Amino acid sequence: MDFEWDDEQRAFRAKVREFLAANLPPDWERMAHGPGSKEQSAFSKKFCAALAKEGLLVPHWPRRWGGRQADPWTSFILAEEMWMAGEPRGGQYMNVNWIGPTLMRFGSQAQQEHYIPPMGRGETIWCQGFSEPEAGSDLASLRTRAEKAGEGYRINGQKIWTSYAGEADTCFLLARTGAGKDGISIFLVPMNTPGITVREIPSIIGEGDIHEVFFDDVEVPESARLGAESQGWEIVRGALSLERVGIPRFAFAARVLARAVDALKDAGRFDAGTGGHAARALAACEAARLYSYEIVDKRRHGTPIGAEASAARFATVMAERQVAEFVVEHCPDGLAGGDPVLLAHHQRGIVAGIASGAAEIQLNLIATEFLKLPREPR
Amino acid sequence: MDFRLSSDQQTLATEIDKLAAQFESKPTEFHGFALVSHELENQLESAEFFDIARIPELGPVSAALAVERLARLPYTAEIALSMLVRPHLNGDWPRPLAMVENGQTGRFVAAAKTLLVVNGSSVAIVQPTAAMIEPVDSIFAYPMGRFKGGAEMVPLSAEASESARKWTRVALAAEISGLLHAAIAATVEHLSVRKQFGRPLGAFQALRHRLAECAVLAGGVRLLALKAAATGTEADAALAALQAQESATRVVYEVHQMLGAMGMTLEHSLHLWTYRLKALLSSLGGRAGQAAAVAEHSFSAARP
Repeated sequence: MDFEWDDEQRAFRAKVREFLAANLPPDWERMAHGPGSKEQSAFSKKFCAALAKEGLLVPHWPRRWGGRQADPWTSFILAEEMWMAGEPRGGQYMNVNWIGPTLMRFGSQAQQEHYIPPMGRGETIWCQGFSEPEAGSDLASLRTRAEKAGEGYRINGQKIWTSYAGEADTCFLLARTGAGKDGISIFLVPMNTPGITVREIPSIIGEGDIHEVFFDDVEVPESARLGAESQGWEIVRGALSLERVGIPRFAFAARVLARAVDALKDAGRFDAGTGGHAARALAACEAARLYSYEIVDKRRHGTPIGAEASAARFATVMAERQVAEFVVEHCPDGLAGGDPVLLAHHQRGIVAGIASGAAEIQLNLIATEFLKLPREPR
Repeated sequence: MDFRLSSDQQTLATEIDKLAAQFESKPTEFHGFALVSHELENQLESAEFFDIARIPELGPVSAALAVERLARLPYTAEIALSMLVRPHLNGDWPRPLAMVENGQTGRFVAAAKTLLVVNGSSVAIVQPTAAMIEPVDSIFAYPMGRFKGGAEMVPLSAEASESARKWTRVALAAEISGLLHAAIAATVEHLSVRKQFGRPLGAFQALRHRLAECAVLAGGVRLLALKAAATGTEADAALAALQAQESATRVVYEVHQMLGAMGMTLEHSLHLWTYRLKALLSSLGGRAGQAAAVAEHSFSAARP
């Protein structure tokens, strides 16, 4: 076992930090609190294009798609530095982490050639059309329908809580083509297709982050379907497992904790009480960090990943919560105009237990797949 | 960064597993607190497993893995301090090793050949005679004892004291990790077979979620303990010990709650792990002590 970074990994991290220092604008911290806002989305296109030119957008992708097949540690170090800096890639982190790789695996040649190069150049924003008013944690009960119509499909239904939808170019959409889990298909739908309406939902978590998306007689060709009809659930399960440990949330949480501690020190309020509270939050962050590193290590060595991904996610939720609570309790001014970085963390941290599979869903998976407890009756 | 065991570490883990397999079952007639096995201790001694941290190919990580594995057994022996602290003391001090903190009773004290006597942040070493130590009855599931004093103390330098405290934290985290995993495994078994309201308790979400949270905590402690053993830094040792005592506090409550009255009996094994965990909760100042160490070692650096 070795818990140290090697020289190459350290050099790569330093390169990413240099890039960030040179490419983030002076008012970046003010801008960074709304990852789906118009301002940050516009900046993400400029920033990701520059990242791509430096070979820092998709280093883990195959050479054919502009990557260099870097190992999973490289992309995770990159993700740590990006998330810790407030995620200047905006919604494009999803392209890099799972939408691109999912298209590489399941997409037709035409889909790959149409969609992957702009992702690799940092030019395009996607949204994921998953949750619906009646289908959140029970995602497989979704109702949006895609019915055969002529040479293609006609889509009707509603999505909700959709991040980045206001600025997205394309939607990775789950829709029903039959009954049950096996009746779900995926469609890649340009957001300017007639019949799509997007409404932003004002929220605690920042401007432009969540939306309702309505599909009224939206017509798409058969070539918009990803994979076979009814293969959607299989595809999305794989994608969600990448997403579960996709964001190194613990890294931003630990940075914010250190920042809050510095503020308390400056104010002469870092004592045994606040220090003890900070210590507990840091221990939770470091536990989450090691859980995530263990997953990356398994990816690196091709070891199958099971319920550990859910454990990593739950450990991350606990870390986010402890840091957010520390800030609210000891540095409340940070959320009242005092520090945009503390505010940004709060707004991102509070959704950790809700996004990409609620914390309780992770606990179910751990109970069943890891502890092997008897299943609940259905 | 590589979480895989080296081939030497893997070989050792297999050997430790083989040895542990002989001690996996609690004798049905045992209805006590401290289930001590001299045979376990003798076998570890004769295989020279107490010295694995000194072997460069194995190192403290291997010792932590061994401590963690052996702590899952219903039987106990003085293992953690011998494997993880003794190799870092200057000089060749005889084992068993025990720690006496601020005049309190300590585990394995009455059998110890070497005592680490901790007062605040200073540590001294004592080789007690039989007259200076005595066993104490307790409900902790270790043999507890008292040091009556009267021996010549060899004070450690500030640096050596810090090192002893650091490796004690690593030992504490590794041992707590093993105990947590054993307590959770015993609880899984109970929840899988005990039925109420016509179904196994483990099929009730209120319990499934709480035990899953316990498992996440235990897994985190294990990773932190192994990292602390690998890096040997004060900061990592303090973080591991803090998370270990935090998690143990929560998990001990939860598993007893889930075992119900069965967990209150001496017939069931649960107390062998939970009342070891409780004995470790006060070590090195308890959570407040570890938190202070984390604050000192992790938050003292200049701002990034």
